[in-house]
Amino acid sequence: MVDSLFPSTEATVDDASPESRRKRRRISETAKETAESSEINQESLKRWRTNRVQQIYASKLVEALRRVRQRSNDGGKITSAAREIRDTADRVLAASARGTTRWSRAVLATRVRASLKKHKKAKLTGARKPRKDTAAERKRSKLPAVERKLKILGRLVPGCRKVTVPNLLDEATDYIAALEMQVRAMESLAELLAAAAPRSTLTRP
Amino acid sequence: MSSRRSSRSRQSGSSRISDDQISDLVTKLQHLIPELRRRRSDKVSASKVLQETCNYIRNLHREVDDLSDRLSEFLASTDDYSAEAAIIRSLLDY
Repeated sequence: MVDSLFPSTEATVDDASPESRRKRRRISETAKETAESSEINQESLKRWRTNRVQQIYASKLVEALRRVRQRSNDGGKITSAAREIRDTADRVLAASARGTTRWSRAVLATRVRASLKKHKKAKLTGARKPRKDTAAERKRSKLPAVERKLKILGRLVPGCRKVTVPNLLDEATDYIAALEMQVRAMESLAELLAAAAPRSTLTRP
Repeated sequence: MSSRRSSRSRQSGSSRISDDQISDLVTKLQHLIPELRRRRSDKVSASKVLQETCNYIRNLHREVDDLSDRLSEFLASTDDYSAEAAIIRSLLDY
């Protein structure tokens, strides 16, 4: 059970709940996986769609932002505020997943690597180099369109480049639900701040 | 347990992706993406569903970036977010 808390290099099926994990040990056929993956999808939806989750995320985000801003003020360096907020938001979002999904673990792992590399002033090896999808590229890859798009999807979901199709589905489902929650929470925060700070000189439509 | 895991990954980690898996993925993703939910037709191709999923995720990323921008404007006036944090906590009523 401890294994599933740590990122593994082989493509294992991740579970969203301990009950699923226990059931999985008894079941060995992959045919049952479809039933379970739909269960995981339901879990994902329940996990990210409630108002309470959103509120908890919003307040955690504010706290994290406060701490980050405090730290950067003490350190004396000014980082781009928007970037700081985006990174903090992603980090808090991934932390909310409590290590149960691959994408959340990848997000947290990347941040650790990124902060270490920044100190060494080295270029991030994990940075994605944008590559134009030219016709020559497509011919070279020789993959059918669907498989190519699966790859792209795997690149968009953090930590899911070499993950099996059913895994990718589960991860993408959870990731999308989490992103939607992140957007809703940040929107409500922005509205709160807009309403609570009329002294701001910015006019918002 | 580990042997069972590795045997399963060997079996499903092969380069050939079965059509069943893809159609399963496609039907499930279809329900998630608002664009495709609206159309509700069974004739949406796998490629289209995957394309829309990727677009949707990219859109969500962009929205988060925009929101980060907006929030940074609100929070730029203070060095310390304590006042804002207090306001938000009281308004969230949590």
